[in-house]
Amino acid sequence: MKFFKHIITASAILFIGQSCSDYVDYDPIENFQITADVYFQSANDYEAAVIGTYDPLQWMYLNILIGDIASDNSLSGGETATDVIGLQQIDNMTHNPSNDNLTSIWKWCYEGINRANYLEQNKNKIAFDRKEALYGEVYFLRAYYYFELVKLFGDVPLFTTNRLTATDSKSLQRVPASEVYAQIEADLKNAAKVLPTSQSQKGRATKYAAQALLGKVYLYQDKFTEAASEFEKVIGNFTLVSDYGSQFLKAGENGSESVFEVQHSNTSNWYDWGFTPQGTEGNFGIIHNGPRAFGGPIYASGWSFNVPTADLYNSFEDGDSRKDASILDIVAFAQETGATYAEGYKHTGYFNNKYIPRAGESGAQTELNYLTNYRSIRYADVLLMAAEANVRAAAPNVAKAQNYLDLVRDRAFGDTEHRVTATRQAIWAERNFELSMEGHRFFDLVRTKQAASKINGFVDGKHDVFPIPQQEVDISGLTQNSGY
Amino acid sequence: MKSLLLSFFLCLASITMYSQTNEIQGTVSDKSGNPLPGVSIVVKNTTNGVTTDFDGNFTLPKIQSGETLIFSYLGFVSKEIVVSSFKAMTVVLEDDTQSLEEVVVIGYGTQKVSQISGAVSTVNSKSVEILKPVRAEDALQGQASGVNVISSGSPGAKPTVLIRGIGSSSGNDPLVVIDGVTQTLDDLNSLNPSDIESMSVLKDAALTAIYGVSGGSGVIVVKTKSGKRSGKTTFSFDSSYGIQEVTKTIPVLNASEYAAILNEASSNAGEGIIFDDISSLGAGTNWQDEVLIDAPIITNNITAAGGSENTSFFLSGGYLMQDGVVGGGDKSYFNRANVTANFNTNLSEKFVFIANTSYANIKSAGLSENNIGSVLSNALNFDPMVSPYDANGKFGISETITQEIKNPLALIDNTYNKGNTNKFFGKLELEYDIIDNLKVSTRFGYTYTDVYGKNFTPLQYYGIGHNSTSANEDLSPIISVDPDTGDITSTHNRISESRTNYFNFTYELFGNYNFKIQDNHNFDIVLGLSVAKNTGNSITANAEDIPFNSWDYADVSAATGDAESQTSGSWQYVKRNNSVFTRINYDYDDKYLFSFTGRRDGSTSFGKNNKFAFFPSASLGWIISHENFFQSSAVSFLKIRGSYGSVGNDNISPQFATISTFPKYTFDGNIVSGSTLQSIPNDDVTWENQVQYNVGVDARFIDSKINLTAEYFKKTVDDLLFNPTLSLYLGTPEYPTANIGSTESSGYEISLGYNDTYGDDFNLNTNVNFTTIENKVTAINNGDKFIDGAGYGIPYTTLTRFEEGYAPFYFYGYKTDGIFQNQSEIDGHATQNGAAPGDIRYVDVNEDGVVDGEDRTQIGDPYADFMIGWNLALNYKNFDFNAFVYASVGGDVYRAYERNLNYTNRFAGTLDRWTGEGTSNSEPRVTFVDTNNNRRVSDRYVEDGSYVRLKNIQLGYTLPENLYETSGFSNVRFYVQVKNAVTFTDYSGYDPEISSGVSDTGIDRGSYPQPRVWSMGVNVKF
Repeated sequence: MKFFKHIITASAILFIGQSCSDYVDYDPIENFQITADVYFQSANDYEAAVIGTYDPLQWMYLNILIGDIASDNSLSGGETATDVIGLQQIDNMTHNPSNDNLTSIWKWCYEGINRANYLEQNKNKIAFDRKEALYGEVYFLRAYYYFELVKLFGDVPLFTTNRLTATDSKSLQRVPASEVYAQIEADLKNAAKVLPTSQSQKGRATKYAAQALLGKVYLYQDKFTEAASEFEKVIGNFTLVSDYGSQFLKAGENGSESVFEVQHSNTSNWYDWGFTPQGTEGNFGIIHNGPRAFGGPIYASGWSFNVPTADLYNSFEDGDSRKDASILDIVAFAQETGATYAEGYKHTGYFNNKYIPRAGESGAQTELNYLTNYRSIRYADVLLMAAEANVRAAAPNVAKAQNYLDLVRDRAFGDTEHRVTATRQAIWAERNFELSMEGHRFFDLVRTKQAASKINGFVDGKHDVFPIPQQEVDISGLTQNSGY
Repeated sequence: MKSLLLSFFLCLASITMYSQTNEIQGTVSDKSGNPLPGVSIVVKNTTNGVTTDFDGNFTLPKIQSGETLIFSYLGFVSKEIVVSSFKAMTVVLEDDTQSLEEVVVIGYGTQKVSQISGAVSTVNSKSVEILKPVRAEDALQGQASGVNVISSGSPGAKPTVLIRGIGSSSGNDPLVVIDGVTQTLDDLNSLNPSDIESMSVLKDAALTAIYGVSGGSGVIVVKTKSGKRSGKTTFSFDSSYGIQEVTKTIPVLNASEYAAILNEASSNAGEGIIFDDISSLGAGTNWQDEVLIDAPIITNNITAAGGSENTSFFLSGGYLMQDGVVGGGDKSYFNRANVTANFNTNLSEKFVFIANTSYANIKSAGLSENNIGSVLSNALNFDPMVSPYDANGKFGISETITQEIKNPLALIDNTYNKGNTNKFFGKLELEYDIIDNLKVSTRFGYTYTDVYGKNFTPLQYYGIGHNSTSANEDLSPIISVDPDTGDITSTHNRISESRTNYFNFTYELFGNYNFKIQDNHNFDIVLGLSVAKNTGNSITANAEDIPFNSWDYADVSAATGDAESQTSGSWQYVKRNNSVFTRINYDYDDKYLFSFTGRRDGSTSFGKNNKFAFFPSASLGWIISHENFFQSSAVSFLKIRGSYGSVGNDNISPQFATISTFPKYTFDGNIVSGSTLQSIPNDDVTWENQVQYNVGVDARFIDSKINLTAEYFKKTVDDLLFNPTLSLYLGTPEYPTANIGSTESSGYEISLGYNDTYGDDFNLNTNVNFTTIENKVTAINNGDKFIDGAGYGIPYTTLTRFEEGYAPFYFYGYKTDGIFQNQSEIDGHATQNGAAPGDIRYVDVNEDGVVDGEDRTQIGDPYADFMIGWNLALNYKNFDFNAFVYASVGGDVYRAYERNLNYTNRFAGTLDRWTGEGTSNSEPRVTFVDTNNNRRVSDRYVEDGSYVRLKNIQLGYTLPENLYETSGFSNVRFYVQVKNAVTFTDYSGYDPEISSGVSDTGIDRGSYPQPRVWSMGVNVKF
């Protein structure tokens, strides 16, 4: 029986001999986990982190929906008065700080900023060829996310050097919007310096994208001279497509008019509702805009949010090709094709024809996988912004403005008979004919101080910005916007 | 046998003729007729005595009539018999379930019940046999005080088991130890309950501290059966067949009521009526009747136990088959096969080798339950105007419901999944008796689990435009042509297969030494080491386009989809612990008890800076009844005891700064992979530290016929592990778990038993146990002072909260205050946006003049205030009767199954809705434009979930022995049983007992009710 005694003795020795702490140390590589310590060792790591920084662009569907729902262009819709209540409240101008949708926007924009900052933090680890141009994309993206925040919320916390960690929680306060704008301008200038005018992969930010966004950022601050000069750098490098409506179809994606476009794909086959929109490559905004229980050609079923008003539809002049390209008259369509649909809440009879579920454009889980890109900055937008900047600049250049406005109207009507004089009001009106249902209207109305006169329930000095999410106020002790 | 008995009689008869001093012979057996070897037989007031042999026979020489013989045997009630004749005696000893000599299995050893100074509840094999649970832990409900078991009716589902309340938000499953091997509560689904010899629930720190960081939620120690050395091989077979039925349906609107309500809701919203003629609609379909099916449950078990001089064995095989009452056995079942072989052999005089091996196979399939997509949720909310099947035999389709909710029969039909689990668990153990009373054991315990799962999502049709429709009406794929590019896309069916392996082992080395100093100082010491490793890994494959859209062909290997549609995934984890532990039990003269336990644990789960911790406990006891001054005829045993100590919880994963390669973006229409920082580490994270004190009293009265145990405990948990709420501007990475909260729990536990025999034929055994529990979260040191628990609905709304100053996971929502009867009431109330007459008036709790999110408050608590279990066992001659009643009082239930969307079906209460001033003050108006959001989380949906349930009632009859004397059987018993026979409750849903995890408890999203089970069965021993 010595054998068994030996077993026991041996195992005792094994036990005691084994260093206790080694056994309970854990190395992430045991589970094949890549950790921050071993990352940023090759150019590929940097490229991947930049792709990760683009990723949150795909989550911005709420920003776009709000751009029209909050405005006079469209109504909330949905199934019932409580369907996505955050959007219902925004439509009614009854939104308050406890708004899940605004909270999501806040978090997602800051995730984008943190991802950009993480690259900033690790910038000097190694050198590689494409580094400078790559960081141009990083600064462009950071500016994009900060611009979304400052448009929506006004004064916001600002940080640029590193990704925040747990110890940074509650350490920051809001800074004036002007400081945030200064950072956005700096980032975009840096980006424009190093970015190429064209990228081999469609979807990446270019020098023109940075300049166009910088011009827009100037315009939002009423810096018209600077804005005009930035737009001037972009103008001439793009062309308007001849058929206005074609650019919103799949074949029109990344076309000649596209200055910056948020990319989506239907091939990721995303199924997890709980991690949408973050997980999917599809455009989750699209399903919101579709007619309910739709049966018929061309389109597919959706959730009947963001329904354009009859006023918007009827505001278009006869002969304007943008009317039906922008808005689907479902009643007429159903009569013509025999299509069926169900009416949702606040049914108007109209749907957003630019961003709408189209048959065959999604993946297996249809709601989550629409391939439709978001045309974030179109050349027509740049022309109209340039026209406005030139009209409103300290030293106006009305001829230039007229030229840009004419380009846009001529394309819309297919002739030169429908030109109008490039006044500030005419340009503002033109912006909505050209850009309605693309998520710009509310911000344009606020920027141009027209919101109170156009939007029911809008209170100047309150609704210019949305409330800081209550959760953030509670956790971080941030001040609230006035009126909320 | 017969001839042997005959010769005894002849022999005895001849002896009696001679003298009054004589030899006496006999046999001793237990109640079931099994002979008992080693029973001590002593002539009272002498030292004369013998013990029975292997067959239970004894012979005592020189006995005078009138002398008293005392028969005693561990675990049985001692019996005194006055010798009146010298006929061969047949002595039957009764099991002594309350025996003071009874030992309980505790961590790394056993202890006499009488000498325990900690808190333990035990459930023995007899209770388990009578209750016939599907899962072993169900047998603890109402049987063991201090344990709250909340079960689900779903076949094989894991119940929520809470020992002494909810200490933590990160995990409250007790540790399970089977024959010394640590396992998890999930593993209990593969244990055959009929293999269980005993279950001990270790409740206080005195007993759980030996498990240190794993003991924080209490410990369930299971001992499986074993054979007896030198015993006769005995066989037993039992079989039962039962039918399960759901006894309650929830009143919903019938077709004409539904149409009328919809018309009214539409016109209240200023829209036209929807159905012109509602008179012809009739009752329509009650979908609950369509999906609730009477389903069978069958169990069969066979065992063999016995041993030779050096070896004992226990073999068992079992098969359980349970079909689901929702949807029936095709789609919902739990079939378990078990094989167990326990061997115990002396390799030499000094060495004992023990090998316990169990194998379980579980085949199961399930339907979605207790969530918004579940069969019952659909059955309750679906359109009653639809026929189950249309004229062509296809599933009926609703004209009005085009989103989310489906014909539940179609949903059942389109659900295809199956699981197959193979599991081996057991131990190899070597015991070495170095000297008398010093034993060293080395033990390797293991659990190997292999889980295979398959899930098929066919192309399905619920009507054109329904968001769950993925096929045309003929179930062909929907082909869409992009009008712009001509690209063709198609819908697909999907298959997913996964295989997951778990391997857990513990290796332990420990010594038990008990010794005496000067007769009165008794020591029992344990000292040992433990190393544990738990690993798991999984791989999943997904594919599309199964031929013929058919389950028969549903396999990844048969899928015809393109390469892009074939995806895969995998994960793995590892966790290691190493520990040293000790326990010193000391008593002085069996009067004063002292115990010290300590364990030092290391774990991979914890931060670099906190790898180890020490968990000590100590307890004291005083057996007053053993004092000389204690003289009481009424009180036969009295002990008071107290304990204090700490245990832990390491329910988190190791932390480090991970780079996730999940983020993706699209360039040129192609998806490209990116990266981001996924998680932020916390190097200081450490165990949840629980401190508990316990005081108790154990007493027995009137010759131990009455026994009483009462205790009070209080535990505080500090350093609760949470994902803290951090500033939102940190973005969306996984925040590090931190130790940032505290809870406090306290309660009383009383169990009272009575056991008596009247005459020869009638025995009564009854016990009542009573458990109270009060939980409170005392600190959450994040900004919010709370973390969200579970919720329900679309959009998902949080309902439960783990918040400072409240009970854990209480219901959080609006308080209602009747219905606004008219506009002036609205004007007179705090501003409530969107309210109209007929809408619900919500209470402005913070009195700021506005009803908003800030007015949400506590509207319920899902956990019961107290629980009572009452058992009654009666034996009369060959009849036995058992009843078990369980009551759970004070828990609330939230009716989350009511969707109340515009077109969903409504519940019967809607018929009494508000239709004008004074018509109702509880049911709001119906309207398609619910601007007041009457559906918001409020106390309107909260009900008292208290209930009293006759859980088990059983009547058995044991055939008289003479009927099968010659057949070789030793015991044949038939029984009939009704489980969940009657439930008394005010809850309007199916079943107030709703189990789905600690943070989800009490949320009824269409939970699987516990069926009533009518069954009959037979036990045979031979």
